[in-house]
Amino acid sequence: MVSGRRASINRPPTPSAEEDRDKEPSLEEAINIKLVESGEKEKLMELLRERLVECGWRDEMKALCRAYARKKGRNNVTVDDLIHVITPKGRASVPDSVKAELLQRIRSFLMSTSLR
Amino acid sequence: MSSSDDAPLSPRSQLALSCFEELLDCAVADVASECHRIARLGLDRSVDAEEEELRVWAARAAVGGDQHHPGGGGAAEEGGGKGGVDVFGQTHPAVAADVVECMNCGRPVVAGRFAPHLEKCMGKGRKARTKTTRSSSAGRTRSSNGIAAATSNSPYSNTTNASRASTPNGVTDSVGGAGGNHSNHGP
Repeated sequence: MVSGRRASINRPPTPSAEEDRDKEPSLEEAINIKLVESGEKEKLMELLRERLVECGWRDEMKALCRAYARKKGRNNVTVDDLIHVITPKGRASVPDSVKAELLQRIRSFLMSTSLR
Repeated sequence: MSSSDDAPLSPRSQLALSCFEELLDCAVADVASECHRIARLGLDRSVDAEEEELRVWAARAAVGGDQHHPGGGGAAEEGGGKGGVDVFGQTHPAVAADVVECMNCGRPVVAGRFAPHLEKCMGKGRKARTKTTRSSSAGRTRSSNGIAAATSNSPYSNTTNASRASTPNGVTDSVGGAGGNHSNHGP
C-alpha cells in the first residue's frame, strides 16, 4: 500500500521496478507476450479450432469422451480425466497439413518480430 | 502419423513447435470441458442409461404433481423442463400456494389464482363484471366520456374509455381498467 505513488487502499502494491530487473523474461515467455499482445495468439487459436473442426478431429475427440463417460458413469467424470484421455490420441491425430499450416504461421510471426 | 520432429530443429522451429503444442493443449482442454459439461448435464441423448433416467423422471414428475415430494430425490438431478425439481433439489406444487394481498381490492388471494382474480377484480377482461352492471355503466361511460376527457387524471384512461365505450366493464371513473398495470394504483 505504500508505494510512493497514489494508489487505492485496496489495491495490492505494484511490484517495484527493481525486483523485475532481476528476472528477465525467458525467450519463450517474451514470444508468448508478443503473441498475446499483438492479437496473433487469438487468431492462431481461432485458426486451429477451425481446422480441427473441419478435419473431424473435434468429433473424434468428442466420441472418445462420450465413450469414456459412458464407461465410467457420466457423473463420475472430471475435466482432468477427459483431458488425460484425449491428450495422447489428440496430439497424435492432428493432420499433418493442419500442423504444417499452423507452424508456418507461427514461424512467419516469429520472423516478423525482432526477436530471433 | 505425426510429422517427424526427431531431426534437430533450429531454435526458432523449436519455439514454433512449443507454441503449437500450447495451442493444441488449449484446444484439447476446450473439447474436454465441453464434453464434460455434456456428460454431467446429461445432454448426450445416445446413452442407454438415459432411457431409464427419462422413465424415472416421468414417474417422479407424475408423483410430484400430486403430493409434496421434499428433496426431489437425487442430488445430481438436472430437472429439465417441468420435471419438478429446481437447482436446489426442491420440488414445487403445480399451483403456487402463497397467499398474497391484491393491490386493487386489498383481499388476500392465493398466488396461483391471482390472475383470474385480477381479471374479475379490475374488470379488464371482456366477460369481467364487478360493481356495476352492463346497462348502468353503459350510460355512465357514454355520458361521462366528454367529462372523462377533461377531468381524467390518468393519461391512459382517455384512450381506453374511447375505445371501450360500447363494452363497459364496470369501470369506476378513476380507474383506467383496460390499461391494467399502468393505471393509478401504483408501480
